Amino acid sequence: MTANGEPILEVEGLVKHYPLTRGVLFKKQIGAVRAVDGVDFALGRGETLGIVGESGCGKSTVARLLCSLERPTAGSVRFKGEDITRLSGRALKAVRRNIQMVFQDPYTSLNPRMTVGDIVGEPYEIHPEAAPKGDRRRRVRELLDVVGLDPDYVNRYPHQFSGGQRQRIGIARGLALRPEVIVADEPVSALDVSVQAQVINLLARLQTEFDLSYVFIAHDLSIVRHISDRIAVMYLGRIVETGRDAEIYDHPTHPYTQALLSAVPVPDPDARERRERIILGGDVPSPTDIPSGCRFRTRCWKARERCALEVPALAVPDVFREGGGPAAHDSACHFAEERRVVPPEDPGGPEAPQATVNGNGPG
Amino acid sequence: MLLEVRDLHVEFRTRDGIARAVDGVSYAVDAGQTLAVLGESGSGKSVTAQAVMGILDTPPGRITGGEILFQGRDLLGLREEERRRLRGDKMAMIFQDALSALNPVLPVGDQLGELFVVHRGASRREARARAVELMDRVRIPGAAQRVRDYPHQFSGGMRQRIMIAAALALEPALVIADEPTTALDVTVQAQVMDLLAELQREYRMGLVLITHDLGVVADVADRIAVMYAGRIVESAPVHDIYKAPAHPYTRGLLDSIPRLDLKGRELYAIKGLPPNLTRVPPGCAFHPRCPMARDVCRTEVPPLYEVSEARGSACHFWRECLDDGER
Repeated sequence: MTANGEPILEVEGLVKHYPLTRGVLFKKQIGAVRAVDGVDFALGRGETLGIVGESGCGKSTVARLLCSLERPTAGSVRFKGEDITRLSGRALKAVRRNIQMVFQDPYTSLNPRMTVGDIVGEPYEIHPEAAPKGDRRRRVRELLDVVGLDPDYVNRYPHQFSGGQRQRIGIARGLALRPEVIVADEPVSALDVSVQAQVINLLARLQTEFDLSYVFIAHDLSIVRHISDRIAVMYLGRIVETGRDAEIYDHPTHPYTQALLSAVPVPDPDARERRERIILGGDVPSPTDIPSGCRFRTRCWKARERCALEVPALAVPDVFREGGGPAAHDSACHFAEERRVVPPEDPGGPEAPQATVNGNGPG
Repeated sequence: MLLEVRDLHVEFRTRDGIARAVDGVSYAVDAGQTLAVLGESGSGKSVTAQAVMGILDTPPGRITGGEILFQGRDLLGLREEERRRLRGDKMAMIFQDALSALNPVLPVGDQLGELFVVHRGASRREARARAVELMDRVRIPGAAQRVRDYPHQFSGGMRQRIMIAAALALEPALVIADEPTTALDVTVQAQVMDLLAELQREYRMGLVLITHDLGVVADVADRIAVMYAGRIVESAPVHDIYKAPAHPYTRGLLDSIPRLDLKGRELYAIKGLPPNLTRVPPGCAFHPRCPMARDVCRTEVPPLYEVSEARGSACHFWRECLDDGER
């Protein structure tokens, strides 16, 4: 699971705004939901990029844009160097084969009136060149086998399966066209705890078997860390911090990342006293009314005047540029500093003070 | 003891036959204590809570046996009218989905105030004032202005805090929280759990926290009861269970949490699926998924063996499991 060579997917300045209009006959635009508001990243071949963030941060919109399910307002998505946002017709169809999606909810993403065989084989109807007609049945059975389902289930319907099995069906469908990139949007969050591990293992195995590159979107930070090589943390439509998994988890420098990591409950009752908790005040601002400057400043305990005036760039902060080391990774904060918030796994570390941050800040 | 559930049995009539959703569950909570009931969907954790609260849908549900002792009285012997008076006043529930638990066409202030009108005979004006106080208490900014707002005008985290306010309004002795933070983002979850813990300390409530999240449990619980297929399979003080589980199901759950030192390796996964409750396997319900299963497990239902004074495990081989699990 390591990156090598040039990236398979490059995203630059990606923006998606949904207009808000008023009036029926004479529609007037009165604003916009800025769901994705300038996102850049690259995905290496065979690599897994984890995107984390809370609801409304735009991570699912990014997923839809990557799969060309929607057209961006601005920016580009380059697949092997070719900008796919400008394609249409046959060229778009050809590219779509290579980037497939696995959805969150295995209960609504499978058509209840189609058999499992039809669901998994449907991509071949749309891309007939991918498999000759006589061969499709065999391929579907093979795919079911690959994802750990009995190939004899081809004639069953989705309701006859559990959530975990349905997610396997969704994964089999995603693999049908032998894509190179899979975008998985919260693929395990609808599943029972004891079944999540099975699906994560399956995804990891398929990655090596089929040489896949993953964009893995989730809100469960421990699962994201387990499967990802690199992590991007999103807040209100932008990436606020990105780096290799250890850089983000062990050396976060953006206050939002620190708050997010510190809020994750640790499955170790002994860590209760040791851990430092940052409780953020207030709620995420509405994406129709994004704060000026740094968009996190309304909830940030470090916010100063500069934060309201200047948008912080996503780059290695000056303070870390010279020294290098794990803290030297991209972080969009004017006052970035390192702070370890996840307790080290062996006990006996220095006692962390209880930090509570309250108040709703300016705005 | 504040609440004691003894050998509770609940059945559901379904098209596929009778489902034993709760099959002999016993647990107890004291004032000021937090009991976490941990389980996956279909384990019976919510049904048990609904039986305690007296909000079980009957039919299709039916309580077929057991006792629910609340402050020494058996709730199952009370008339509906008496139970209704207890609900909200002495015992309250926090639900997972605040949006569907709150009335969408009534301002939140009215919903909070109603409790004081119904249970305390307060006037409308008093009730309104108490509602503002409560909203302030759960840190809703600008409570006095927002008391007339409707549920949809609040964010998910704020709605959940309003529900907590409603549950704690009359300072009940017992609160049951059914997955109170599952629908929330982690930073909001932290806010809500923090608030709940603070209020619990202040009022010395007994708290039953129903969840599937081993992280949340480790953070707040004093004791854990792990449920599987309608039964409690392990019950222990929180520190003991994380140190060394005495049931293979608990161990499987703990082992399947991604850990740093296992990054990039295969995660431990419990094989198979939770059983269909109309067709629970004979013997130990967990045996088809258990790595330790032997012949006796397929035929004999394990009782809750006493592991230590405060600890029980429903596994024939709990001793082995405990020794294996020392970590």
